[in-house]
This record gives sequence, structure tokens and C-alpha cells, in this order.
Amino acid sequence: MRDLRMISRVVVSLSVMLLCGFGAMGQDAPKPVKIKASAIQVDMIHSDEIKLPAEFQVSMYEDLIRQLQKKGGFAHVYREGDRSAASAPDLVTLRSNVTGFKEGSQRKREVTTVAGETQIKIHCIFSDKDGKTLLEADVTGKVRFFGGNLRATYDFAKATTKIAHEHFSSTT
Amino acid sequence: MFVATWLVVMGVLTLPASSKAQQSSVPVTDAPVKVVVVKGLEGVKDNSKGTIIVGDGSMHITHDTTVSNLDTHSIEDVVTGDDSQRVIRGTAGTLSWFAPYGAGRFLALFRTKLDTVTIKYRDANGGLHGAIFTMPVGQAEVIKKDLLAQGARTTVTEADTKAAATAPDAKEKQ
Repeated sequence: MRDLRMISRVVVSLSVMLLCGFGAMGQDAPKPVKIKASAIQVDMIHSDEIKLPAEFQVSMYEDLIRQLQKKGGFAHVYREGDRSAASAPDLVTLRSNVTGFKEGSQRKREVTTVAGETQIKIHCIFSDKDGKTLLEADVTGKVRFFGGNLRATYDFAKATTKIAHEHFSSTT
Repeated sequence: MFVATWLVVMGVLTLPASSKAQQSSVPVTDAPVKVVVVKGLEGVKDNSKGTIIVGDGSMHITHDTTVSNLDTHSIEDVVTGDDSQRVIRGTAGTLSWFAPYGAGRFLALFRTKLDTVTIKYRDANGGLHGAIFTMPVGQAEVIKKDLLAQGARTTVTEADTKAAATAPDAKEKQ
């Protein structure tokens, strides 16, 4: 009888410990502290080492600006060279450099489903007015199944905007 | 010619500030070219159809009932390329995926070739814009030549294009 009580106590204490452990694991990772930035200036996409077709470069740039305007959470989104950006407080500059590019084939994707993926890898650097790096991130844009090759640029723009939204805020 | 005169008379300006509506008596250089504005042109929806005429120091883009005029001197780069698209596309193309025995996949094999023109231009504030157009095969080089003749600039010369075309790794992109 005493043994049975002992065993039940051990089982109960073990289950409490396990539950506490799972509870701690279930807690979300602490959210990053958002950096105050009321405006962002997007530079044209660079591809120093990788030969990138002009339509991909322009498409990435335009998609990025459009996505940041829609969902970035910035009061202003400036283009490269925009003179009015100079007077913007808390301006963040986004520079993107292509580190990898694989041009797939829409025909292959549509016929085989598994082949013909288009993929673009980009290294993004967010810096402040003084050029100090605030955040660096590697982003990948892909199109695997449906859509033209340029859809990879939309994927990249969405992912980059999400990163910007998570780390910067105009109200903090 | 009639279309060109009509465009000048219309003088509707929808592009950002850098684009100037220029009304002059100098005739345009070529006949209108049917294009699809893939993306990037302000005030124009993605993938809208229109026509381009280059002349009077401007690139006139008509879409629906409006005309956008882009000053050719504000164009910093003109690059041509090629692409392809499905012969059966749109709603019919989407529905074809539900056809039995992989007929949709079979139809995806049939594609038409296209030319692309990519431009980069500055607005009045100095902001950099980009726009992509697709057009029938053979028209891109004509538009590029016309734009360069009217004051636009390019980073890819004709020699570069020829060299790229004859390069051993030049492959069909579809």
C-alpha cells in the first residue's frame, strides 16, 4: 500500500514537471524590439557578382516598393534618388544585393510540376542615415508551381516586407 | 499619323511629375506598337494592354482612354529581352488544368515568343522608377533604337546584345 502511494506521488510529480516543461516550450519566443523608423528609402537592387536580367531587377524593385507601401508600416516609402527623403526623420535605407539566381522555366513547371523552379537569393541590409547597419537578412524569392518567372520577385518582396514590418515601426 | 496627331492633341498627363506632355509639330517616328504594361508604370494597372509611340522627345503610352507621356531624357536605361507566354491563357488556360488525361499539361507546351523592354527612369524628385513592357517579337529593338535616338540612355549596347546571343550558354528561356 505504501509502495503504491509512493509510485502515485512520483507519477503525479513527474506529470506536473512535464506539464510545466511543455508550458515553457509553448511560450512564444520574445518578440524583437522594434526600431523606430518613420520612412524607408529603397535602393535599386544590385547584382555585383550575379548576372541578373534587367526585368527581374526592375520587377523586384517595383514589387518591393509596392509591398512596403501596402504592408510595411512606414509613413513614407521613398525611391532611390528621391530628394524629399533627405528631410525625413528616422529614415531607414534598404539595400539589396543578389547573391544567387536560378532562372527556371514556366513551361517545365506547368508540364512536370516538380522541375523548373525559379529562385532568387538576396542579401538585404537596413541602415540608418549615418550608414550604420541596423539589420541584415537573407531573403529568398521562389516560384515553384504556378505563375511566370517574375512571380519570384513578388515572393521576395513579400518576405522582405514581413521582415521590415517585424523589426521597424513608425510609432515605437 | 492620325493616331499620333490625336495623341498630341489629347495631351493627357497621367505619369509622375517627370513626364512632360510635349505638344510640338515634330512628327512621331514610328507606327504604334501594341504592348502589355507588365508592371511599374504609375497610374497603369499591371498587365494592361496599350500602345507605345516614340516621338517628340517622349514615349507616349496609351491605355484605355488615357495617354501617359514619358520624357525620353528621363530614361536612364533601356534593355531589351525575350520571354514567352502560353498560347491558351486567361480563363480558358486555367480551365484547361481540369481537362482529363493531362490535356492541360499538354496545352502548356504551346507557347508564343515575346520581346520585352525594360526601362528605368527618374521622376521630377529624382526618384528612380522601372517599367516592363512585353510586345510582339521584333518590336523591342525598334523601340529601343527610337528611344535612344530621342535622348534615352542604355547600359547594354548592340554589341553586348550580339555577344550575349552568340554566347555558348545562351539558352531558350521558357
